[in-house]
Amino acid sequence: MKKRKLAALLTAVAMMTGILSGCGSKGAESAPAKDAPVADGAFAEQESAAGDAQLITIWYYWENEGHQATLDQLIQEYNGSQDQYAVTAKYVPFADFKKQLSIGASADELPDIAILDSPDHASYVDMGIFEDLTGKFNVDNYYEGTVNSCTVDGKLYGVPFGANCLALYYNEDMLTARGVNVPTTWAELKETAKALTTDSVSGLAFCSVQNEEGTFNFAPWLWSTGATSYDIDNENGVRALAFVQELINEGVMSKECINWTQGDVMNQFIAGNVAMMVNGPWQIPTMQSEAPGLNWKVTLIPKDTQYASVLGGENYAVVNGGNVDGALDFLTFATSEEKVKFMMNQFGYISADKTIAESQFAEDSPYYPFVEELNYAMPRGPLAEWPSVSDAISLAFNQVITGTATPEEAAAQAQATIDGIVN
Amino acid sequence: MAKIKKFFRYENVGMLFVLPAFLYMLAFVGYPIIHNIILSFQDVSAGNLVKGTRNFVLFDNYLELFGDSVFTTSLWNTLRFTVSCLVFQFIVGFALALFFSKRFSFAKPVRGILLVPWMIPITVTALMFKLLFATDIGIINFLLRSLHLIDKNIEWLTTPGTAMFALICANVWIGIPFNMILISTGLTTIPKELYESASIDGAGKVQTFWRITLPLLKPTIESVLILGFIYTFKVYDLVYVMTSGGPVNATHMLSTYSYKLSFEMFKYSKGSAVANVLLVILLFVGVFYIRATTEGEKE
Repeated sequence: MKKRKLAALLTAVAMMTGILSGCGSKGAESAPAKDAPVADGAFAEQESAAGDAQLITIWYYWENEGHQATLDQLIQEYNGSQDQYAVTAKYVPFADFKKQLSIGASADELPDIAILDSPDHASYVDMGIFEDLTGKFNVDNYYEGTVNSCTVDGKLYGVPFGANCLALYYNEDMLTARGVNVPTTWAELKETAKALTTDSVSGLAFCSVQNEEGTFNFAPWLWSTGATSYDIDNENGVRALAFVQELINEGVMSKECINWTQGDVMNQFIAGNVAMMVNGPWQIPTMQSEAPGLNWKVTLIPKDTQYASVLGGENYAVVNGGNVDGALDFLTFATSEEKVKFMMNQFGYISADKTIAESQFAEDSPYYPFVEELNYAMPRGPLAEWPSVSDAISLAFNQVITGTATPEEAAAQAQATIDGIVN
Repeated sequence: MAKIKKFFRYENVGMLFVLPAFLYMLAFVGYPIIHNIILSFQDVSAGNLVKGTRNFVLFDNYLELFGDSVFTTSLWNTLRFTVSCLVFQFIVGFALALFFSKRFSFAKPVRGILLVPWMIPITVTALMFKLLFATDIGIINFLLRSLHLIDKNIEWLTTPGTAMFALICANVWIGIPFNMILISTGLTTIPKELYESASIDGAGKVQTFWRITLPLLKPTIESVLILGFIYTFKVYDLVYVMTSGGPVNATHMLSTYSYKLSFEMFKYSKGSAVANVLLVILLFVGVFYIRATTEGEKE
């Protein structure tokens, strides 16, 4: 009997220590896993060579393998060029990126550098996790919009990584077959889209998902009328919403766009289900490899009263609790003209540096129209509450697309929400 | 020595066995819940998540929620989604369980195959149903058109009312095997002799079902319904993948709205308040479940 009790006790103790040590070893194991470099082998070599180099961690969200390999190459070149710091990069999926940064911020487990989506920059500055970089980088030559996206209260809290914007892709064969010209105004766009629409082909598509991605795609239409993101309940804002509703009601754009991401839209375009689409330059490498035979071109997004596009892209930010000196050293290396050129060309991005961007592509390159479009591209925000403003805007165009509200009602409702946030 | 001996009496050793699980629950279940409750009484947003003072605002977040139309919609959505799913998956699951309790060839393998929906990751199911219900390329519209039941494609996932219907269909498809297998197990616990003597006494099929099967299955049915309620009420992945709460917030559930508030709009306190409403409702159901099962054991 006694023996049994003892055995029971021992089991209990064993279970206890199991749990405790389980936690301990898990914690120890997950630490290096978290900072796992893109290429394990290369990093291991670096570490043994560098000895006691200080670790610099980068978080990024590019799922594109080409992007990942390019970033890895840049990091390896940097690690090979000096032995004070050893940089590693960690991929965080885009859908989780905001969540991970928020959790990391409250748990004090942040990287040293984050490469993040530009409209979110101001929110994180507001959170107080980014280092003030004013005067540390020369951004005079950069596109104004890109610099604005990482500037809060006149202080620079990041360095633009690269720029992109939206433009209109069209299937040239379909346009030729129907004998229609490339549209430059909204009226022409609607006529062209009508002419191109058949039983199996929609004339036009752009991502209209009810989130930041959708707002990004709606912004060019809104801004083209002269309305701003904060001032929608007027003639201009209503006209933008009404135009989108007409496209849907007249059947030249599929209502499914509210469920299509930009990647889905691109897939529909290369499958020949869509004749024209609004999308960004980052789709070009995929389109060229997936549909080499497809004859498409890019042009400016047709205008209402003025040309408009929306600025996208990532910014580098330095986290203030981390190894700031190391992060700055890496960024100085990464933002040199030679490295920027290398990164941008590999990524299919446009440099945020005007002088580099203007000589980056030949005139017949599919990227070239995006450089021109960039002159009309404006940033979203920057505003700490941008996610809430964006939510109100995306609700408005989803309401008109699904027919649950008239353009006037949707505009008034969005305005009421936005006024509550901004004022 | 005597004291130590006394400490290791039978009951105390039992407590030692409970201790690991207790500590585990405290750290990984208790702490997050308490943290979340505190968070919901504060005013934490992007601005003061890391730095700055967190003010206690007491019930402000909750009061704000009840004036928020998206919240009331998502509360109502969660309730009607759960009830609709429970009704359909229970009835179909019960019918299938009765059917497969009969002895016929292939009964067992077919019942096994019917479990597949329960084993597929929910994300996969959600993507599958998203394609099935797609307007232009979906097979459901294709079938309905081929049968001349509709002239124009139904916009399942882009119209508020039908989007909820599509979600319920997908979830019922997942829930049927769960109901079927639990009720099947319950059926095997009913002694065969009862049915034999009933048939000797001249009871018909319907009578046997209402007088023997149903009353004896009562504990099983209670468990199935309550567990089903809990599983369905906290639905997240299915909705997130199929509609993301759209179109126009029409299919937001408490879980998806809480996620959206916290991690897309950085309103952490408001998001945690939504999560706590979910918690309180499930807590009531949980207490009800524990009472129902312990009563069953006493009998």
